Amino acid sequence: MSTTGTNATTPATLTERIVPAGLSRNGDSALSRRIEDCRAQGRPALVGYLPAGFPTVEESVAAAVALGQNGADIIEIGIPYSDPVMDGPVIQAATTKALANGFRVADVFTVVRAVAEQTDAVPVVMTYWNPVLQTGVDEFARRLAEAGGAGIITPDLIPDEASEWFAASEAHGLDRIFLVAPSTTRERMNMTVGAASGFVYAVSVMGVTGTRDQVSSAAEDVVRRAREAGAERVCVGLGVSSREHVLEIGAYADGVIVGTALVRALGEGGPDAVGRLAAHLAGRE
Amino acid sequence: MTQQHSATVLDQIIEGVREDLETRRAAVSLEELQRAVAQRGPALDAEAALRGSEPASVQVIAEVKRSSPSKGALAEITDPAELAASYERGGASAISVLTEQRRFGGSLADLDAVRAAVGIPVLRKDFVVEDYQVWEARAHGADLVLLIVAALDDAALRHLLELTHELGMHALVETHTAEEVERAVASGARIIGVNTRNLKTLEVDVHTFGRLAGAMPQDVVVVAESGVLGEEQIRLYAGHGANAVLAGEVLVTSDDPAQSISRFREVGALARAEHLDGATPPAAQAAFAAAQVAGETAQGTASSLREAPGPYFGDFGGRWMPESLVAALDELTETFDKARTDEEFLEEFARLSRDYAGRPSMLTEAERFGAELGVRVFLKREDLNHTGSHKINNVLGQALLARRMGKTRLIAETGAGQHGVATATAAALFGMKCCVYMGEEDTRRQALNVARMRLLGAEVVAVTNGSRTLKDAINEALRDWVASVDTTHYLLGTAAGPHPFPAMVRYFHEQIGEEARAQILEKAGRLPDAVTACVGGGSNAIGIFHGFLDDASVELYGNEAGGDGVETGRHAATITLGRPGVMHGSRTFLMQDTDGQTVESHSISAGLDYPAVGPEHSYLHSIGRVKYEAVTDAQAMDAFQLLCRTEGIIPAIESSHALAGAREVAANWVRELGPEVAAQKIIMVSLSGRGDKDVAAAAEWFDMLPQDSHEERVAQKGEQL
Repeated sequence: MSTTGTNATTPATLTERIVPAGLSRNGDSALSRRIEDCRAQGRPALVGYLPAGFPTVEESVAAAVALGQNGADIIEIGIPYSDPVMDGPVIQAATTKALANGFRVADVFTVVRAVAEQTDAVPVVMTYWNPVLQTGVDEFARRLAEAGGAGIITPDLIPDEASEWFAASEAHGLDRIFLVAPSTTRERMNMTVGAASGFVYAVSVMGVTGTRDQVSSAAEDVVRRAREAGAERVCVGLGVSSREHVLEIGAYADGVIVGTALVRALGEGGPDAVGRLAAHLAGRE
Repeated sequence: MTQQHSATVLDQIIEGVREDLETRRAAVSLEELQRAVAQRGPALDAEAALRGSEPASVQVIAEVKRSSPSKGALAEITDPAELAASYERGGASAISVLTEQRRFGGSLADLDAVRAAVGIPVLRKDFVVEDYQVWEARAHGADLVLLIVAALDDAALRHLLELTHELGMHALVETHTAEEVERAVASGARIIGVNTRNLKTLEVDVHTFGRLAGAMPQDVVVVAESGVLGEEQIRLYAGHGANAVLAGEVLVTSDDPAQSISRFREVGALARAEHLDGATPPAAQAAFAAAQVAGETAQGTASSLREAPGPYFGDFGGRWMPESLVAALDELTETFDKARTDEEFLEEFARLSRDYAGRPSMLTEAERFGAELGVRVFLKREDLNHTGSHKINNVLGQALLARRMGKTRLIAETGAGQHGVATATAAALFGMKCCVYMGEEDTRRQALNVARMRLLGAEVVAVTNGSRTLKDAINEALRDWVASVDTTHYLLGTAAGPHPFPAMVRYFHEQIGEEARAQILEKAGRLPDAVTACVGGGSNAIGIFHGFLDDASVELYGNEAGGDGVETGRHAATITLGRPGVMHGSRTFLMQDTDGQTVESHSISAGLDYPAVGPEHSYLHSIGRVKYEAVTDAQAMDAFQLLCRTEGIIPAIESSHALAGAREVAANWVRELGPEVAAQKIIMVSLSGRGDKDVAAAAEWFDMLPQDSHEERVAQKGEQL
């Protein structure tokens, strides 16, 4: 069990206290390689988020496949959760609807499998931690890997509490995508970058998910600090909604994450609208 | 223990059993037993009793057991008949009587005594290896015998089972491995037990049950044996489909075995219903149930329970939070750690507590209320604090910290409005901006407090997400905080959430318990026998408990909101019926489904209507220091009215749960110790808040609103009850 408080009697650095020695960085994981491929093509990876089960499991499969077939390099499949403290109104409404329509946590593997089998995109799961904890961290990891998933983005799991996840991700070859924020201190940046694999998720603004007209200048600073801490791949999320944002962020980050805009498109225009927005964001139109 | 050495444990026991058997056979011949059997009426149908009448029910086989090879002597059982009768009263479906004498201290005399005392099936629990013992069991009135697969070869097993059935009895065929389950099924067993105690090592692995239960045929009655320390293991076994659970030691050592059995049946039925819906018990719950049995949760128990600093309380607590907020939590931790050793800070906190909040709060002996209960009752009067509840203690402390950190805006969640009012008050006092998030449902229930906050200059945001109650208000406050953390302090109102909140909020409320302890020593000349406090998140409870945690003679009770009754699913009894998980920043007991989705809570009391609980309470529950019990809306409102009419004090509905909890404790004492002894007992109740805010809700409950028709109200109340 790790501790998050500072402890004067322990001389070790935060990284040494929290990150197990010899944790793999997975530089050649499917996720890492995809981002490197995009870099080689001189463009940022396009990362799209959609919640599983919204509006139904079938339609979420269709939407995710449309996203993958229209230019997304990486797809984050979200697990709807009853208490999504990091999400703004659009995603909250979508995940609430998914739950009301009978979404079960195991359905996420159906969507992941569809993305893995029907598109070239790399699927990862984004989830609050309690559903994973209740499934069993190792069991969840095993089933995710089996379905073709590449890793988990963990908005409310910090490395300080991740000892079980370290073990399970290593055992099943999954990437650990932790978040860093404008408020992240240098010490925590070093630690979190050391704990992460695949890519580091840089939160562009202090706030919850939702589209914004401008992506804060704080984002560039977070990316720079993550790179100084040794991050090889950094993607930026929160507030991205247009091709202009993608180009702007792509100038300094390795990937650009779009969530709310896609969820809104799905709600308003179904899987086709998701495909059209993905093509627009990818510059394919 | 090595395999070779321990493989002989069963052999050794059976060797002794055979010797004792010869002694008995010399005294009573098989023919005599057969004549005695012929005299007896037919055996009771144990299979039907263990299957139960409802699919989603779980039956309890309650055991009379004096000692065991793994633990030695368990309890002095002076009257096995009386113990068995109490099991039956509690709702046991069968009684198990150990008759093995060398290791378990049992006898056929115990069996006879129990048989005469109860009208439900009785299991003779022994190491049956010969026909003689089966006849003997029936001759002494048993309806059920134990056949241990590991002790018998296939032919002997089949033969003994057939004889058992011929005599009209059933056999509980006990297995330990998948291979033994196959053998049991092949022998024609109708009731199969899974003993989670490894025969070789004598260690219990509760996961064994889930592994073997899946291989059972549909029509077999499945019984879980061993490892039952309490409700957690019942939940696990029932969640894997157990029809019945055999509980021994936990009942023999319980103060109130009847109540334990009734609780086991209750939690078992809920877990079995989930099993029938196709769910399996969540991994976090299974891990906790196993850790409890392995004794891990008791490890690291400090000699004093009063100094727990966080972030962890046993397995509970921590920081399950977005990275965006960690810097703010670190800053808060650091500021708090410095402040608590800073004379200037401590003086200012003490001055505000005294000159502004009105501390110390009084301790009042409630003589007429106590007389109604049959005990002495003392009320710790947090209701007399400025703003009307204990909440002001924490608010003043955190507002001082916010000022030290240079924050200019306070945000808070509130359920009943007490914490929101207290925060708005502190914001006014400190000249800070204030925004209070409140579930829309609660703004309706607590309209007066909404107006109060607005009068104090706070903005009140009605939260329309989710269940529109306290948990959703916390979600919304967290969303605000992520975006405003530079200028804003989130003044969390209860001893829950991420580190440092649980330890810090407790610290600001510790004065409740410290004052109370000194006051009762002065007034009564001794410590109380029990302390009761209501628990939603649990801040007043942890504050008052703190004063008594190290006083082993003081029983501590946390009263959770039982809503319409825990069996209805409409309640907020998080520890009573929840399971471990993570929410709102800490690992703790939660009301959740098997996917980990939070289940909505229900209570007449907005302040207790919360599906999680502070992590230190989860810890105190896991080590058994505090008993957490559910109080229904109806019980709380009865206690509310009783206090109004006997003492002239209108309590908050939250606090009324603690009054009702005291009533239960008192009733037990009166019943068990007699009125004269009970009258000398002292219960201290944390009267955490006053009921001005609840007048409308209470008037509605008691049908005191003149404009409404009587009939309609009675009908509504009928539905609620």
